[in-house]
Amino acid sequence: MWEQVLIESGVFEPFVAETTHGDVDVHEMAIAEDLLRQVLAAAAQNQVRRVLSVELELGVQRLIVPEALEAAFEALAEGSVAQGAVLRMVEVPLEARCGGCGAQFAPSIDDYACPRCGEAMAELLAGNDIILRSLDAETD
Amino acid sequence: METTIKVARSVFEANDSMARRNQSRMNEAGVLSLNLMSAPGSGKTTLLQRSMGRLAPERSAVLVGDLQTSRDADRLASDAVEVCQINTGKGCHLTARQVSDGLLQLRLEQISYLFIENVGNMVCPASYHLGEHYRVAALSVPEGDDKVAKYPTLFQAVDVVLLTKVDLLGVLDFEVQRVLDDLAQLNTRAELFRLSSKSGEGMEDWLGWLRSRRAALRERGGVS
Repeated sequence: MWEQVLIESGVFEPFVAETTHGDVDVHEMAIAEDLLRQVLAAAAQNQVRRVLSVELELGVQRLIVPEALEAAFEALAEGSVAQGAVLRMVEVPLEARCGGCGAQFAPSIDDYACPRCGEAMAELLAGNDIILRSLDAETD
Repeated sequence: METTIKVARSVFEANDSMARRNQSRMNEAGVLSLNLMSAPGSGKTTLLQRSMGRLAPERSAVLVGDLQTSRDADRLASDAVEVCQINTGKGCHLTARQVSDGLLQLRLEQISYLFIENVGNMVCPASYHLGEHYRVAALSVPEGDDKVAKYPTLFQAVDVVLLTKVDLLGVLDFEVQRVLDDLAQLNTRAELFRLSSKSGEGMEDWLGWLRSRRAALRERGGVS
């Protein structure tokens, strides 16, 4: 696993709960940990000296508070090549296919009923994930 | 030199792939697994105690994730039940890796059912697959009939809803219809069981569901 390789090579150290959590919500903290792991892996593969910004898509269903994610990421990235990197976040709305009749529609966060057949059997196509799109970085 | 590096990967990718491995291990061992999510105090531990007692002589195991102490683990352990406690510290949800570590401590080939008791929280656990075959949300009558509408992302994502402590329906102000109406907006695929660990109401249906799903799992070698 690349994650294990990074840990063993010292590029990435597993996080300890007592670090700089402060008042940041643990929900965003957990997401920030996974995000940073991926940012550092991509940085290591591309000889990055410094990560300037991180572009990510936030599915609305994951209920992320952008400010809390920024604060968590900033705290965790300290001392790494991603220190000071700006998060550029784009919110992604929900998209679904009805598991009953197959219609595609846009549910809202509290209503997944199909406008065609009325069943709430939504298979989510978008809006339920958090995706690291790209990094802007300084390389050697 | 400044450059843009394309990644296009989900931050849940590592967790999801670990979850798939967990599920393969359980499929191989023929273990039906459920991820139980709820608020603290929904009556999960008592429900598990009763359910596993009645599933015996088939053996069950529990991975308990929401504890600083071993109180629940002590309550649950018996001849027919193996318990493994996962110390989550400050974490607000279980991860697939924690479950993977827990699986190593269980004798999977000797058990039929694995209940994964997630951290008492109705938001975060919904984002993290653990490798479970089914996701179950438990809601108790004392919590109020507005709970489903308040946590749409959880109730939208589950396969089963357990309405627990229904022996209190006559005592407390709780409209079951409101729960049904809210589920009609969120999730008409989910099975709903009305249960009372105290009176035993609904337990046969719930246990029958568990048994039939386990039988189907053994037949197919996995849940599609």
